[in-house]
Amino acid sequence: MKRSIVPAVALALLALVGPAPAFAQAKDTLTVALVSHAPTLDPHMHFERVGILVNINMFDSLLHRSTKLQFEPSLATSWKAVTDTQWEFKIRKGVRFHNGDVLTPADVKYSFDRVLDQTKKSPQYGNIRAIKEVKVVDAETVHIITDKPFPLLLERLVFFPIVNKKHVETVGDQAFGTTSPVGTGPWKFVEWKRDQLIRLEAFDQHWRGKPPFKHLIFRAIPETATQVAEVKTGGVDIIRDVSADLVPDLKSHPQAYISSTPILRVHYVNLDMRVAPFDKKGVRQAANYAIDKSAIIQKMMAGLGTQVATTVQPLAFGFDPEVKPYPFDPKKAKELLAQAGYPNGVDITLHSSSVAYRPVFEAMAEMLTEVGIRATPRMWDPGPAWNKFLQAEGKATQGMYGTWGNYSVFDADAVLHPLYHNEPGGWIGRWYARVEGLDKLIDEARSTVDQPKRKRLYSQIQQMIREEAPSIFLWTQYDTLGISKKVQYAARPDEWLWLYDAKPAAR
Amino acid sequence: MLSIVTRRVIRLVVVLAGVSLVTFAILQVSGDPISLMMPEAPEADRAVLRQSMGFNDPLPVQFARFLGNIVRGDFGQSFFHREPALPIVLARMPTTLLLTLLAMGLSLVIALPVGIVSAVRRNSAFDHTATLVVFLGTSMPVFWTGIMLILLFAVQLRVLPVSGWESWAALVLPGFTLATFSTPLLLRIVRSSMLEVINLDYVRTARAKGVSEWFVVCRHALTNAALPLVTVAGLQFGLLLGGAIITETVFAVPGLGRLIVGAIRQLDFPIVQAGVFVLALIVVLVNFAVDMLYLYLNPQIRVH
Amino acid sequence: MAIGTLAPPMDARAGSGHAAERSRVWRKFVRNPAAIGGALVLLTVIGAALFAPYVAPHEPARQSLIRRFTPPIWTQGGKATYVFGTDQVGRDILSRMIHGARVSLLVGVAAVLVSLTVGVTLGLMSGFLQGRVDTVIMTVVDVTLSFPQLLLALAFVAALGPSLLTIIVVLGLTGWERYTRVVRAEVLALREKDFVEAARAIGASSTRTLLRHLLPNTFSSIIVMSTLQVAQAILQEAALSFLGVGTGSAYPTWGQMISLGRDFVTVAWWLPTFPGLAILLTVLAINLVGDRLRDALDPRVG
Repeated sequence: MKRSIVPAVALALLALVGPAPAFAQAKDTLTVALVSHAPTLDPHMHFERVGILVNINMFDSLLHRSTKLQFEPSLATSWKAVTDTQWEFKIRKGVRFHNGDVLTPADVKYSFDRVLDQTKKSPQYGNIRAIKEVKVVDAETVHIITDKPFPLLLERLVFFPIVNKKHVETVGDQAFGTTSPVGTGPWKFVEWKRDQLIRLEAFDQHWRGKPPFKHLIFRAIPETATQVAEVKTGGVDIIRDVSADLVPDLKSHPQAYISSTPILRVHYVNLDMRVAPFDKKGVRQAANYAIDKSAIIQKMMAGLGTQVATTVQPLAFGFDPEVKPYPFDPKKAKELLAQAGYPNGVDITLHSSSVAYRPVFEAMAEMLTEVGIRATPRMWDPGPAWNKFLQAEGKATQGMYGTWGNYSVFDADAVLHPLYHNEPGGWIGRWYARVEGLDKLIDEARSTVDQPKRKRLYSQIQQMIREEAPSIFLWTQYDTLGISKKVQYAARPDEWLWLYDAKPAAR
Repeated sequence: MLSIVTRRVIRLVVVLAGVSLVTFAILQVSGDPISLMMPEAPEADRAVLRQSMGFNDPLPVQFARFLGNIVRGDFGQSFFHREPALPIVLARMPTTLLLTLLAMGLSLVIALPVGIVSAVRRNSAFDHTATLVVFLGTSMPVFWTGIMLILLFAVQLRVLPVSGWESWAALVLPGFTLATFSTPLLLRIVRSSMLEVINLDYVRTARAKGVSEWFVVCRHALTNAALPLVTVAGLQFGLLLGGAIITETVFAVPGLGRLIVGAIRQLDFPIVQAGVFVLALIVVLVNFAVDMLYLYLNPQIRVH
Repeated sequence: MAIGTLAPPMDARAGSGHAAERSRVWRKFVRNPAAIGGALVLLTVIGAALFAPYVAPHEPARQSLIRRFTPPIWTQGGKATYVFGTDQVGRDILSRMIHGARVSLLVGVAAVLVSLTVGVTLGLMSGFLQGRVDTVIMTVVDVTLSFPQLLLALAFVAALGPSLLTIIVVLGLTGWERYTRVVRAEVLALREKDFVEAARAIGASSTRTLLRHLLPNTFSSIIVMSTLQVAQAILQEAALSFLGVGTGSAYPTWGQMISLGRDFVTVAWWLPTFPGLAILLTVLAINLVGDRLRDALDPRVG
């Protein structure tokens, strides 16, 4: 009858093209969902996590990290420190680019020069600006020279993609980032439909060998509910950043499972020490006592988190387990608050752009309010407006709740410097943290390669900040992936999606 | 006739100028665009850039420059993509148009039969139910309808893909979701047009002559409904473009709406301006075409 | 949304029969069960909005981590105190919905008032002053109609920064054209009428005469359009919340509740569903009432 026209039309459409690809796949294709794509595929010209995740499967760096977080040879087969400021790297022979060219040390030098060249305006410049020069010594050796001792060098080299000098110079930067991003990684570029998908194909001559999947697709799906629905129906194989509350749903679904592991990402509330009330140590410490971290971890994060004493994470170099976290003690919080001169409490505003953790943010505001720090939580959409507010103008008063992923650098410096250092080029520290003597210690620790000395300095720093409480110290989180049962893959502690390790599930 | 057309064309141009003004205003209203482009640069650098990019000029001058630029198709460089904004916008346009036209088509496909039957069986259970069901569709926020449809048809029943734009099947859910926006009005128009003709003499005569009742009814209903349907077509188009923004986000459709939403989030104003302008231009052109069609279909106005 | 055919201007001579007219309209309206149902729903919603602090069983902002994601009372695991369950930080959904009625209705009604004020004023100016003013105003109407309403609202709210006031103003400024058109058409129609000439002949101000007769004739159309626009504004606010530019105030609107709860729909379906139902019922009620109101006021429909 006429009423059944619509379903009839729909079924007719379906019949025309058969079942949608999602259902009829032979498992040679791996599909991953990201919330969006980076603006370019050029690995040097963006700094988005979603871009990095795609780039690492197309480009190699000098070093790689194993799932146990050990440094592994990648494009560099061996390395050693010649002096405090000079490192030597032996470059792997016989590595081919996707277009057939052979990798040479000249490509390595070119890659670094490209980012260090300030006219190119690479957003990654800040990460490697300690590198003064890269020298090609012979057909398989490269020297990297830093202007000061740079203890983070190896860390930074784990994500520093090497590109093909001849190719980039031939096609130009623009085309390189959009239509022909040639690298040495396990997958090579096929097509990029903006806002839709990035299609990659296995590179048969990859130096590690062929990857288990012939095709790799990165889809851009902004909506969480849609991503979850896709992984349940097999339209997508891997989704990331699964909220703890959705874990039971995916775990119990017959077609999907969860893989979760602790990562570097640490949560904190940075307090603005320039103004009242957080200019007083007592109030800052009170805030630390006010939060019931274990309740939040257990009840709101499904136990997928670990409380930390300071913002230095357990997995990072320099972590001192002797420094103990603030316990939950609302009574003590009220006492400290009164002693600091606020017996009737105080009103503050907290800001955050961690939209996925909004419930946690609101719960914390409530806990602070209970002890008298009447907090109004203000949620922002992450983007230029927030960046302007926080970083350009330093207006996120009286505090901001955020998470810091260290950009996968497993070193205390990678969180201490951006969060607390006062130098003008810093991230957050320059606005809000004002701990005396801290800058000097941070500088000292990052200008020597004497690891034991650094460890001692970091212990000192952790004790100092634990006492001074420039932040409310919270916890580190886990990275949770939702994976289709057709695929075998495990989450990594560095938050990477190293899909070379993904395999079709054994039937 | 020609003078009417000429007048309409002039009005078209004037409206486009107004559209440009509003588009121009969007950027101005957001505050200092230079701070958005380079939030971390020192104020001295920003001041220099502000001067060189002409943001210190008086507003009318800036607007004139803006008009001159967009006539040449230059909406500036996208802050995020670092490419000219207009081509990016135009690349996504066909997808959104396809979605919108699909939704309009689905609306008609539903509204015509249901509207006719509702009128013929006026005040029956069918009539009331149809009205209710169709109203239900528009009484829910579009994104909610979309998510519900995904849960039902894709996850539960597994007959359609969840999202994306890769196969014909993927068009169904987003098209249908968006169609809920425009169906009620079309339904009502069909129904009331039908009611107007159903008891007219010539219909009764035709019935007496033995011509199939349905045939007569439908033919006259459609003829009568054609004019009002065309009248609202332009308006509906604009409405659907708005709904498409949301539908594209829920279903991960790579269209212009989603691009603009992303650009707004990133305060990437060249894309926002180019996108808003292109959409408005389409609406204006569609309305103009509808206007011309209306003139053609309605002889009375022509004679005026 | 539903605009449809508007009631034709009522004969000005019916002035003396207004009371009879009103009771006829009322009777037509009351006869329809759908309209009654709709009216009841609306009264409930308005009542909830007005008396929220007294009606809501809990403090809408009160959190309880232990009680997060409590399901509704009639399901397994539900608790008697939380009729519709709790949300991701343990706040009572029903209480939030009752308080949410306030903000949702506030946004809807305020936006419509803005539209009404701007629209009617411009319509009057257009009709009375005619000439160039009329042309300019009608061109502005055309320009406004050229933009997809949601898109324009989104762009301006994002540019100005989301806040309750901004959203009300922006939603109001993107919906005024329909009032302008109606009022203008009415003014133009009335100008031609004989009684205006007659009034002018005996020296009465034609403006005052026009105004006196304008109101009853446009009243019905404006009422109907306003009610429908309130529904539309509520839905648009929900859309803006979904797109990330919600009001950001402490008490969420229904639209925001759905938007914030939609990610959890597979583990806690009650989070977005009840506010969704609230919007659904309210908007449906408004549409039904508005529809029947229009039918009742339209002398043509029997």
